[in-house]
Amino acid sequence: MARLADDAHPSPLRMIGRLGVEAWLPVALFVAWWVASDSSQSLYFPSLQTIVEAFGRTWLPAGITEHVLPSLGNLAAGFAIASALGVGLGLVLGLVRRLGAALSPILEFMRAVPAVALLPLGLLLLGIGSSMKIALIAYAAFWPILLTTVDGVRGIDATVQDVARSYRVPLRLRLTSVVLPGAAPQIMTGMRTSLSIGITVIVFSEMAGSTEGIGYAILQAQRGFRIAEMWAGMLALGIIGYLLNIAFRGLEHRVLRWNRAMHHTMLAARS
Amino acid sequence: MLVAEGRDHAPPGPSRSRSAGRRREALRPAADKVVAVAAVIAAWQLASWAGVIDTRSIASPAQIVGELVSFPGDPAFWSALGATLQGWAIGLVLSVAIALPVGLALGSSEIAYRSCRFTIDFLRTIPPVALVPLALLIYGATLEMKVVLVVLGACWPVLLQTMSGVHQVDPVSRETARSYRLDRARTIVWVVVPGASPFIATGVRIAATMALILTIGSELIGGAPGLGQQIGLAEVATDVSRMYALIVVCAALGVLVNAVLARAEGRVMSWHVSQTMRTRAHSA
Repeated sequence: MARLADDAHPSPLRMIGRLGVEAWLPVALFVAWWVASDSSQSLYFPSLQTIVEAFGRTWLPAGITEHVLPSLGNLAAGFAIASALGVGLGLVLGLVRRLGAALSPILEFMRAVPAVALLPLGLLLLGIGSSMKIALIAYAAFWPILLTTVDGVRGIDATVQDVARSYRVPLRLRLTSVVLPGAAPQIMTGMRTSLSIGITVIVFSEMAGSTEGIGYAILQAQRGFRIAEMWAGMLALGIIGYLLNIAFRGLEHRVLRWNRAMHHTMLAARS
Repeated sequence: MLVAEGRDHAPPGPSRSRSAGRRREALRPAADKVVAVAAVIAAWQLASWAGVIDTRSIASPAQIVGELVSFPGDPAFWSALGATLQGWAIGLVLSVAIALPVGLALGSSEIAYRSCRFTIDFLRTIPPVALVPLALLIYGATLEMKVVLVVLGACWPVLLQTMSGVHQVDPVSRETARSYRLDRARTIVWVVVPGASPFIATGVRIAATMALILTIGSELIGGAPGLGQQIGLAEVATDVSRMYALIVVCAALGVLVNAVLARAEGRVMSWHVSQTMRTRAHSA
């Protein structure tokens, strides 16, 4: 408890020190790249200065509305579908063990189908457009959430389940106050995996069949030999991915905090 | 008290019948699985026959099996499979060869670890597919292009797992190594690597699956020879059954890679105390 509080509110001086330790390398790398590439004549590796200029030109602010927002919208839609279906079905398969066990070979096989290999199928069924991309993201992001939910539900202490049952806690209450909180840490782990898979799939689908989005912008830049813009697109993707990860970590922290005991077991499990 | 006793006595009936049910269940799962698989395939086939599923876009199981049967006699299939496995294997070996030493180094120093955290987190979130255009420009649709992309994606799980593995090596064994004045190289070989090995093994398994997906994906987008390219070609030729059969092969490869590595992991790690840790890492 004390340690947690200390971690949450360190003294300003320690915070600056910690920030310094974390920040010196990225800054040094950026400077080194800038200096080393300054007079670059290479076609494929333009100077960082031109990349940054291209970044400002193409991504701020026009690129955000034109490419970033559609990408994020599709990602959010696909991720939401995957989460709803994954947690819902995961609860059923986790609680009805026999069904879960019987379906496990099919699920393992379906999960192993690389989402990228389904792209031609998506194009065939849904054509170029948002629905194809959302479907593909939802498919790819669904499996980690489903499987971790099943694991999480099965991993709940049998005594806890028995107590809930013997007190005749109604199913709905049991789901919301026993099963879901118990499985929450595992579910969040699955969602984190799914998020990075989702980012990969969105970029992939935009490159293969799209007229908008970050992946499309990067590929178009490459096809037009606008190399600095291509690098700028990759930079933008890195920034977006990083921000999404931070946002998710914040969400995870909040979701898992309302069950303090669970949070502690999580910490113990991680260390 | 009475109530408590009453409750103590009540359960045996139902719980005994439940444990009998569990025993029956233990004998049944295999049968259950076969029934479930058969039911799904049968339903799919019936739906295709009945015309509920349009076989021009979703092939029926019979069509897929018919296509799968033709693969062993198809040289194009074998060379594609070989190309995919080659890219996968080289990429995976390189990823481990690069990420393992770096992970060991970064994991053993707190300052190094914290210094690199942001950089690693940032680079890791760039999906390797985003680099396909660059790799295509530099290498063209070749094996090198595939390998570069695989390494760019698959080195992260190995790196991160090695780092956290090194982090949690039992401090007592570290202290022991130090008090026996083991030199640095020996400490790493005899203490750190074995201690971190369950984590490393999990990282390698995740990397192996990821490497396969990246290989197939880069073949599909980049057009390098392999199963991914074959899927793309089948799509262009609207040869739906071949496309599905190839997807099934890719999935089977994924299942196989995961199963083989999980098995090897279990065997290699059986000496390690942390059985529970391994299962936790599995689910993570």
